[in-house]
Amino acid sequence: MLLHEFNPSIKAFTVIVCVLILSVFFDPVTPFLTLVMTAAATFIFGRVSFKRWILLFSPFIFMAAIYIWSALVFSKTIEGETLIWTWGIFTLTEESFLRALSLGMRVLSFTSLSLLFILTTKPTDFLLSLMQQCRLPPKLAYGIMAGYRFLPLMKEEFEIIKSAHRIRGVPKARTFHDKAAELKRYTVPLLAGAIRKAERTAMAMESKGFTGDKNRDFYHKISVSWKDWACFAFFIGVILISAYISWLFGFLQFYNGEL
Amino acid sequence: MLEKWKLREVIVLSVLAVVFAVVYLAFLQFGNVLYGMFGLIGYDLIFGIWFIVSIIAAYIIRKPGAAFLSETIAAAIEVMIGNAVGPRLILSGMIQGIGAEAVFAATKWNNYRTWVLIAAGMGSSVTSFIWGYYISGYAALSPGYVTAMFFVRLISGALLAGLLGKWMSESLAKTGALNSFPIGKELKRGKPENGITA
Amino acid sequence: MELQHNRHILKTEQLSFRYEDVKKPILKDVQFSLYPGEAVLLLGPSGSGKSTLAFCLNKLYPEAVDGELKGTISFKGRRLAEFGPGEINEYIGIVFQDPESQFCMTTVEDELAFGLENMKTPPEEIERKIDEALELVHLLPYKHSLIHTLSGGQKQKLALACVLSLKPDILILDEPTANLDPASSYELTRILKEIKKNQTISLLIIEHKLDDWVNLTDRCVVLNKEGEILFIGSTAECFNQYAEELLHEGIWLPSAVRAGLSGKKAGIYHGETLPLTDRELITGFANPSAALQILDNRKNKHQGPEEQIILSAEKLSYNKAGKDLIRNISFSVKTGEFVAIAGSNGSGKTTLSRLLAGLSAPSKGNILFNDRPLSQWKEQELRQKSGYVFQNPEHQFIADSVYAEIAFSLKIQQIPEADIQKKVQAALLQVDLLKCADMNPFSLSQGQKRRLSVASMLVNDLDLLILDEPTFGQDARTSGQLMKLLETKIHSGGSVLMITHDMEIIHSYADKVLVLSEGEKIYDGLPDALWKKDEIMEIASLKVPYIEKLRNDIGSIAGREKLALT
Ligand SMILES: Nc1ncnc2c1ncn2[C@@H]1O[C@H](COP(=O)(O)OP(=O)(O)OP(=O)(O)O)[C@@H](O)[C@H]1O
Ligand SMILES: Nc1ncnc2c1ncn2[C@@H]1O[C@H](COP(=O)(O)OP(=O)(O)OP(=O)(O)O)[C@@H](O)[C@H]1O
Ligand SMILES: [Mg+2]
Ligand SMILES: [Mg+2]
Repeated sequence: MLLHEFNPSIKAFTVIVCVLILSVFFDPVTPFLTLVMTAAATFIFGRVSFKRWILLFSPFIFMAAIYIWSALVFSKTIEGETLIWTWGIFTLTEESFLRALSLGMRVLSFTSLSLLFILTTKPTDFLLSLMQQCRLPPKLAYGIMAGYRFLPLMKEEFEIIKSAHRIRGVPKARTFHDKAAELKRYTVPLLAGAIRKAERTAMAMESKGFTGDKNRDFYHKISVSWKDWACFAFFIGVILISAYISWLFGFLQFYNGEL
Repeated sequence: MLEKWKLREVIVLSVLAVVFAVVYLAFLQFGNVLYGMFGLIGYDLIFGIWFIVSIIAAYIIRKPGAAFLSETIAAAIEVMIGNAVGPRLILSGMIQGIGAEAVFAATKWNNYRTWVLIAAGMGSSVTSFIWGYYISGYAALSPGYVTAMFFVRLISGALLAGLLGKWMSESLAKTGALNSFPIGKELKRGKPENGITA
Repeated sequence: MELQHNRHILKTEQLSFRYEDVKKPILKDVQFSLYPGEAVLLLGPSGSGKSTLAFCLNKLYPEAVDGELKGTISFKGRRLAEFGPGEINEYIGIVFQDPESQFCMTTVEDELAFGLENMKTPPEEIERKIDEALELVHLLPYKHSLIHTLSGGQKQKLALACVLSLKPDILILDEPTANLDPASSYELTRILKEIKKNQTISLLIIEHKLDDWVNLTDRCVVLNKEGEILFIGSTAECFNQYAEELLHEGIWLPSAVRAGLSGKKAGIYHGETLPLTDRELITGFANPSAALQILDNRKNKHQGPEEQIILSAEKLSYNKAGKDLIRNISFSVKTGEFVAIAGSNGSGKTTLSRLLAGLSAPSKGNILFNDRPLSQWKEQELRQKSGYVFQNPEHQFIADSVYAEIAFSLKIQQIPEADIQKKVQAALLQVDLLKCADMNPFSLSQGQKRRLSVASMLVNDLDLLILDEPTFGQDARTSGQLMKLLETKIHSGGSVLMITHDMEIIHSYADKVLVLSEGEKIYDGLPDALWKKDEIMEIASLKVPYIEKLRNDIGSIAGREKLALT
């Protein structure tokens, strides 16, 4: 049973519900355990390579680090907290340290849940599922799909514009001012090209008889089965177990307006 | 909402959203750098850029929902191409879009002068700040700092979303790619209408 | 004609169309009918409004563009205006002129399924229909491929499969072979012939090069420069009687007709009417072999190129995405030489030309331009001496008007404004674009775009010009004009390196031809010798030029006669 095979809409719903439940807790241990278990699920049931995962995950480690730092340095000092360390205007209390750590862990656990979704879902399947299960209007869904198709083309398009300028003998940008002008010379045509392509795609779709009619029978059917809901239950379970373990060790804390 | 839209408009909207999803993702890295340099407020310096597609799409397409939908789709695409904030980001996108949309709605979607665009950018700043206050825990920070963050974000929304968005749309119209949209027609007529100062 | 008695399936009455920002209408009082099961050629010079007409017939215009349509179009007696959105597309299918702009999904399978879903085909039948359509154009192995990895020719075939799967009553094809190699374009006409045989379908075909089409089509509709109907009638009648008028409008004639016409002028063709087939042509000549001499339109060999080498490639290789796109290619171009590059779709011609223009760097090997490695040239200096024309004309465009497009590189060189104006005007006149000077390059017709992209390079005094299929989509007049400009370049001591699928051009102009196949050079030498190498011609999907074909035909007829005598 691969994670890729589950219904994309329900998978997305699962992730959102998990995030919402996680934000009720406010201790470092619950999100940490969730993070570990989600990551494990991604590797085992998603067959995602660690390299790929860590590549997407690492910027968020950096972000979490800054979060922690920021929360430490600019934290409110509350009377009666246990002081660990002071230096000039900076004070560090045990409570604020834990708070900062929870914030960082929170970011990382959210990230791991999202990665689980992103790395095991094909965007076109997701859109098809949104149309079939969530009644997303086909006009919008196919519009987004058409837009999504431009992504791989954008890099190509950029190369083309660069080549066109080189061929015409536009001098290379050296100074900062030139570079800024160059940025404009590239971005505006890039966008203009994208809009022209969009209009042509619209014409192509109309020529194939697309009207945006909501009653549409699909060739690729994305189904829902009890397995999808089992998967949903599994991940909710993961969070509850994390919270339970955290409670066993006396860390568990609920979010109550500190933030 | 979409029934009154032409297919062409829907696709232009989503293409804009895709392009800016990439831009947003790039700015996320840039934001991280600023963040590292200045702390949380570093983010707010460039926060306005994350609303720009609302302004551009609304200014070009001029239909109810353009600001909201474009921002939402941009966020959705950002998630699909690997912003690991995940589905939660879509919610953030919607909330940012609502801020701008509310301003356009207040003018019944037929005033696109400069000040309206600036106000729309600031509208997104306001809604996104309220959301951020809740979800990212600004309450843990000292009130003075939070106020400073709010004003920086407001200005950023006005400049980077409102003014920059207007300028970009007009540069685009000059290339002729928008000739079949109201903005392109205004430019051709050379008559300033709804705020074009060509 | 028998078909005329049937009831027409599509009919236009006093159809006029005007783009909003142009005062003059593009189409004027166009009136014609299409009958079930017939194939009609729509001819006209470049920019006469053929593509515009195609869009109108399909109800895409005036909705997709700001324009004004007058008159009526009716399908089976019902006016198009009465059809609901998307309804008419069930009956009228179209393949667009630009192969890049007609897909909306990522994979081949999804693209076909998209159309079928729109037509409310029951999902369980879709798979079978997809396979059927792909089988028809021989694309079944590519069912799960990503569309943007297909070559230009494959994209064109896929576009055809998409419309065919919908089983339309009318199929409109807008220059379906413009970017195909000779073998693929012949293949395409063969596929259509098969389809026409097996199902009732009306074809409206827009084409410039007609050789493969004449025996497939029943009638011709000819537009003139002004967008008015010049002639409607059977194909035979059209070319037998109106050849000279067509030529005057700048429209291509089928090779046999053209040869007959020049034979007639030279007083050696004695047939009653102009010939449509080679056989007719040959029997019309008293002395076919002598006629060949007169008909051969190869340019007189100019003084022979100097021995100075301007560009030389040494053992070039290039790989991208793990594929060897160019393998160990060496050759040289001399001053004043006209070198052609040919080869099948996807053989690496464009890739090679980009290396030579310094747009991408080879993985291995060297390129010397004026005896200096390309990498040692200063960008600006290099661009003042060598030019490049992209395969897709739109890739060349960087300005917002036709005028500014040509003036662009002149401005960079800081030439005085008055001189620029003079030069630009002259250049626009040469390529027949003077009246489009203020238009946006992107709203030109496909052929006009092509000419603009070439003209934007020709204004500079360059030593070497590299062009990627500069003549596709051109009518007879503009193609002639372009080739004349290139010849002038050669005569003034410049060199030209040109990629083309047009064997006539290679035959008439090239001093040397390179043939590529799967990234390797398989031939490098005189065109004349190439035509005799059957194996290479076959591998590279080439076709002998008309005069050679005629020579072979005459030879074999003579041979047979000899055989009959003994
Ligand atoms: N969107 C547009 N706005 C204004 N003018 C246009 C537009 N599209 C085309 N034209 C003009 O209309 C004329 C007819 O164009 P069209 O594309 O129909 O020509 P065509 O007969 O198909 O030519 P070709 O053989 O070169 O493809 C051209 O002169 C072109 O410049
Ligand atoms: N960016 C790329 N990545 C991978 N393969 C590529 C890329 N660009 C081109 N190719 C492949 O390289 C081969 C040569 O392409 P190229 O465009 O040079 O062909 P061509 O000879 O110009 O064909 P045509 O006559 O259709 O223009 C093709 O098989 C193509 O699929
Ligand atoms: Mg055309
Ligand atoms: Mg090519």
